[in-house]
Amino acid sequence: MFEKVLIANRGEIALRVLRACRELGVRTAVVYSAADADSAAVRLSDEAVRIGPAPSRRSYLNAAAIVEAARQVGAQAVHPGYGFLSEDADFAEICAENGLTFIGPRPEVMAALGDKSSARALMSRAGLPLPAGSVEPVPTVDAAVEVAAGIGYPVIVKAAAGGGGRGMTVVWTPADLPRAYAKTRATAQKVFGDDRVYVERYLTDARHVEVQVLCDAHGNGVHLGTRDCSVQRRHQKLIEEAPAPALSAATLDTIAETALRGALAAGFTGAGTLEFLVDAKERFHFLEINCRIQVEHPVTEMITGVDLVHEQLHIAAGTPLRLRQEEIRLHGVAVECRVNVEDPERDFAPTPGRLERFVPPGGPFTRVDTHGYPGYLVGPHYDSLLAKVAVWAPDRELALNRLERALDEFDVAGPGVRTTIPFARRVLDDAEFRKARHHTGLVDRLLTTTAPAATPDPPVAARPSTTAERLTSD
Amino acid sequence: MTAGAARPRAAANAETVPDGTDPAAGTDAVLAGLRRHARQLVAELAGPVRRVRLRSGETVLEVEWHGGGAPAEAVVPQRPAPVEQFTAEPAEPAEPADHAMVRAPIVGTFYRSPEPGAAPFVAVGDLVRPGQVVGIVEAMKLMNEVAAERGGRVVAVLADDGQPVEYDQPLVALEPA
Repeated sequence: MFEKVLIANRGEIALRVLRACRELGVRTAVVYSAADADSAAVRLSDEAVRIGPAPSRRSYLNAAAIVEAARQVGAQAVHPGYGFLSEDADFAEICAENGLTFIGPRPEVMAALGDKSSARALMSRAGLPLPAGSVEPVPTVDAAVEVAAGIGYPVIVKAAAGGGGRGMTVVWTPADLPRAYAKTRATAQKVFGDDRVYVERYLTDARHVEVQVLCDAHGNGVHLGTRDCSVQRRHQKLIEEAPAPALSAATLDTIAETALRGALAAGFTGAGTLEFLVDAKERFHFLEINCRIQVEHPVTEMITGVDLVHEQLHIAAGTPLRLRQEEIRLHGVAVECRVNVEDPERDFAPTPGRLERFVPPGGPFTRVDTHGYPGYLVGPHYDSLLAKVAVWAPDRELALNRLERALDEFDVAGPGVRTTIPFARRVLDDAEFRKARHHTGLVDRLLTTTAPAATPDPPVAARPSTTAERLTSD
Repeated sequence: MTAGAARPRAAANAETVPDGTDPAAGTDAVLAGLRRHARQLVAELAGPVRRVRLRSGETVLEVEWHGGGAPAEAVVPQRPAPVEQFTAEPAEPAEPADHAMVRAPIVGTFYRSPEPGAAPFVAVGDLVRPGQVVGIVEAMKLMNEVAAERGGRVVAVLADDGQPVEYDQPLVALEPA
């Protein structure tokens, strides 16, 4: 096991990694920007290195500064968390060149899988079903039109270098395709520096189901079941649960086994997630593979008893997997809610500010992953995720009741500060969601209907924009 | 990182004064003359100069320096001498409000001179002009010059040659000119 790990991230995930290191007797060093000097991870870490000013480009995305910090503290390994450089093959390579173990897959595997287009080709060859569409990038608008005509509308134009819900445009009619194609390419160039796009069938009324896998450097791999993350707003997940509900056991097993096969075929090592869309007939289609720990990993941990970050560290240290597939039992149901510092009544605008009150929930089978604390200043520089509240129960109904109870206890207040908790409660109260009959269109449906006037504030007016408009605007 | 990594040859304490022969630079000539006078003045004066003010229209030349009473430079505590034995990290030197601090622009290794064996960029007591290079921070074999944004007199150098430094770490304390 490593003697010292440098944590190259911030917020709640930096704290998560720090905790795993502590538990394994690994010394911790964390990088931080000038804006995060008072963060929880910095306070708790054995060492901390200030690597740049607030802007991510000069701090958390600054590969040179991160490697310098690792060298300064004498770390053997770097944990990239999620986001930032966690799926940057160049960064993984720079680490390797500087004698640092990057906690994740090898650079060449990361490059192959990070390119969504090449990942699709790889998975297709491994026998995973894909949504109908182009396997290769579509080089011209005419080619895009042809592909779309062949597979039928609606289609989605996706950046090959995108991911995490970014760089994609849904197109409902042929007339909209040329503009959407041009716009997505331009955005992709600007945001990812790579304007290649591919076109695939857009599955409406589908569920987002993903599989957690663990693969070691010795060819062994296991899956830890499924998660359902259909509750999304603009492709950002809000509520996640494990296992995926309302699917037959046979379908769940098939999806999970297929996913593991794909990961092993690609030479993946570490903790990874394969994402699928499942239609009403329980047919599933591969979307993308994420080569990093995911935000929603706690729900898998809670139904399996496996600490995924511990496993990441063991795998990266070269230890063969001790888990055997037949030993992995999925028990009960876990549901997680992301608490973002955003105002749901103002189109989820971020509301940074100081947390004057911060009392997270506790109680049975209730887990809160957060970097917040009373007096913490939520800044404007980074994403708005403040906390993840996850609960476990023997069945889904009880888990949802438990999550509602926990969210009702969560006391977060500060001047100008709002959270997405009220909106999450609307989701948890929704009849379709309660019966697990929901799909990826749930959030949009809730946002186009009037919110019940449960608060002293004036009721929110119904939003008139159409689903199509919302989905096609970036 | 190899110890022998080459560093760019940076001027150690360049203070070139234009000779004013450029006909289009009347202003330049005036400024050059002012600077020359200022330097002479500072060199001639007894005691550390606190402030120099120059002006061209209607010719002003103002100098402020500490006289009598408390010594002007005893404001920044120096690092403990190396002969002392200490197990704790040396405390961060206090930063008096009237000192301008030149800080590390990136995380890396601080060097006081342009090359190993060369004279340091600055020493305590030197007068530094705005934009003057006072050191180098090296990260991943890239040398980054550290320039003083504002001018002043060097009252302390707060990091050792070859010391790892963090972003924004104080490197050179200046008493503003």
